[in-house]
Amino acid sequence: MLKINNLHASVEEKVILKGLNLEIKPGEVHAIMGPNGAGKSTLGYVLSGRDGYEVQDGNVHFNDQDLFDMEIEERASNGLFLAFQYPVEIAGVSNMEFMKESVNATREQRGEEPLSATEFLKTAKEACKQVQLPLDFLKRGVNEGFSGGEKKRNEIMQMILLKPSLCILDESDSGLDVDALQVVANGVNSQRDPERSFIIITHYQRLLDYIKPDYVHILADGKIVKTGDASLALKVEKEGYAFLGKEYEGVSA
Amino acid sequence: MSQWLNKVIDDAKGVDDFLAPMRQQAISKLQTQGWPHPRSEEWRFTPLSSLKERVVALSPVNATYDIPQIDGLGAIDIIFADGVMLTDLNELSLPVGLSVYSIANAPSDAQAKITALFGNVKPTRHIFGLVNDALCQQGIYVEVDENCIIDTPLRIVNIATKDCDAHTRALVNLGKNSQLKVIEHGSGSTSSFTTAFAEYVIGQEAELEHYRFAFFTGAAKQVGGSHFSLQNSAKLNSTFVSYGSELSRLDVDIIHAGEHAFAKMKAIYLLAEGELFDLHSTIEHAMPNGTTQENARGIIGDRARAVFSGRIHIHRDAQKTLAELNNRNLLLSRRAIINTKPELEIYADDVQCAHGATVAEIEEKALYYLLSRGIKRSKALVMLNFGFIQELVNAVNDEHIRTWLLPLLSERFANMEVK
Repeated sequence: MLKINNLHASVEEKVILKGLNLEIKPGEVHAIMGPNGAGKSTLGYVLSGRDGYEVQDGNVHFNDQDLFDMEIEERASNGLFLAFQYPVEIAGVSNMEFMKESVNATREQRGEEPLSATEFLKTAKEACKQVQLPLDFLKRGVNEGFSGGEKKRNEIMQMILLKPSLCILDESDSGLDVDALQVVANGVNSQRDPERSFIIITHYQRLLDYIKPDYVHILADGKIVKTGDASLALKVEKEGYAFLGKEYEGVSA
Repeated sequence: MSQWLNKVIDDAKGVDDFLAPMRQQAISKLQTQGWPHPRSEEWRFTPLSSLKERVVALSPVNATYDIPQIDGLGAIDIIFADGVMLTDLNELSLPVGLSVYSIANAPSDAQAKITALFGNVKPTRHIFGLVNDALCQQGIYVEVDENCIIDTPLRIVNIATKDCDAHTRALVNLGKNSQLKVIEHGSGSTSSFTTAFAEYVIGQEAELEHYRFAFFTGAAKQVGGSHFSLQNSAKLNSTFVSYGSELSRLDVDIIHAGEHAFAKMKAIYLLAEGELFDLHSTIEHAMPNGTTQENARGIIGDRARAVFSGRIHIHRDAQKTLAELNNRNLLLSRRAIINTKPELEIYADDVQCAHGATVAEIEEKALYYLLSRGIKRSKALVMLNFGFIQELVNAVNDEHIRTWLLPLLSERFANMEVK
């Protein structure tokens, strides 16, 4: 599904990722934890192709294609999905129009017919209910005036509608109360599938109470420094990152 | 002086028709004024150097022309190609109450009407307006009888296909309580220079729905104007849509000559590459109780430059005037330029006026968000940035024009590169 090999990347000439390796097979859930500034969000942006994030070395293969040969929109329509930590507000474009365009772009890529307005509305309403957002959120401007939790649920709704093969969730749990956290976790769990993989970037173990990861990786200083199973997340929760070595002593989870 | 203007004056001296006294006045003004100074307020941002030393090669008239069509419009077309009228007015079947005369061979009663209207609405400040006064041998005079509602639109097509100069004129007179729809449709891409000026008198309680499309691109230079005089309770709804070229300039004057007149003006411009478009509008509120709503919106890409100068002048007697002027611009590149100047000049004390201008750039984060959901770049840009243009197009009255215009503009926009 995804193979990251010796990835080096920088933002504004500052090197953030310094030789990251990671392999994800279909159906797997990988959690990535790590101290602030380790490069967790950068990884999400580099994979999705954001401007300003420069790859200096290494390569990434996504479904056996060179990811860096693909434009942002190609990566997305080929099944890579990034749930944003800070989803963007776009006034003047309705949530409905936005999601219909994105769903149909993906369908076109798969060689499927575009959905009509009525067909899409039906699917969108179901997804909207699933993430427990009122239906009028479909008519509002994209994320316009949404609360933090509503924005995160809107991201999960898009994930449900787009049916990507690789979902990267960038701190989808941050700023959520327990109820909202469960909505997000249920949304993710409903999409778990032998063909669909997840990268869950998080600061906290608590999301992993609801979404059971197959692997937990600790990202520090641009590299994966430790990999384990779900118990590694519990260890971080309890002890912080001190076990990584001297420079992380006192850094809490 | 300029080589080109000298030639214009020489040519004009040789024109001998019933408009000779007016042409003579224009020639004298051109001789006194001379070529505009590059820093004169009128031409500050619009260089005329490409025109100044222009040498025109005489070229034969084409046998066939590709006339731009608007599906479903069903208009009466008057076609000028490279400055020459191709339409045989005798062959037109005009609705009752509508008359169209050619300036080149007007009967004597029409000559009197033409003489009365010629230069009556168009201000004389404009050098190219004077050039047109002096040289426009081709043109039409249109008259709508009192109380006549003309359902069929009238379209004046101006196409430039050759490396020549073309000067055409339209004079339109709407009688009391009449209605008419006029479309001025210009286009060209060769190294031509077109001056096309139109003057409209909208009679008491009459209504004019007006469109002007200036689709001149590349080396096709054009300078033109549409000038309106509104009598008591007259209504004007006018829409301008323009691309840009080496030199493209439109002047619009709306004169509230009567009380309770209503004018709505929309302008849309989409500029790519190194194009230039300059829009000067002047609204004169000379009488009380008039209303003006002016909305100009443009998208400027690449190395293009737009100039907008919008002036509303409220005279001392024009009490209870309502006037709004708004100009919004989106720059797609670091090198794109807009020079915008909304101006209010108010001498009456009981009026409501508002004016404003904004300039925005593409928001990188929003674009990235749409792309990251698989939406194609061209589509994403349309979704994010075309909306404010689309809003004006959606407000276009004529359904056929709206249907024709929207895909045309969104395609042009989608092809404009963001840098």
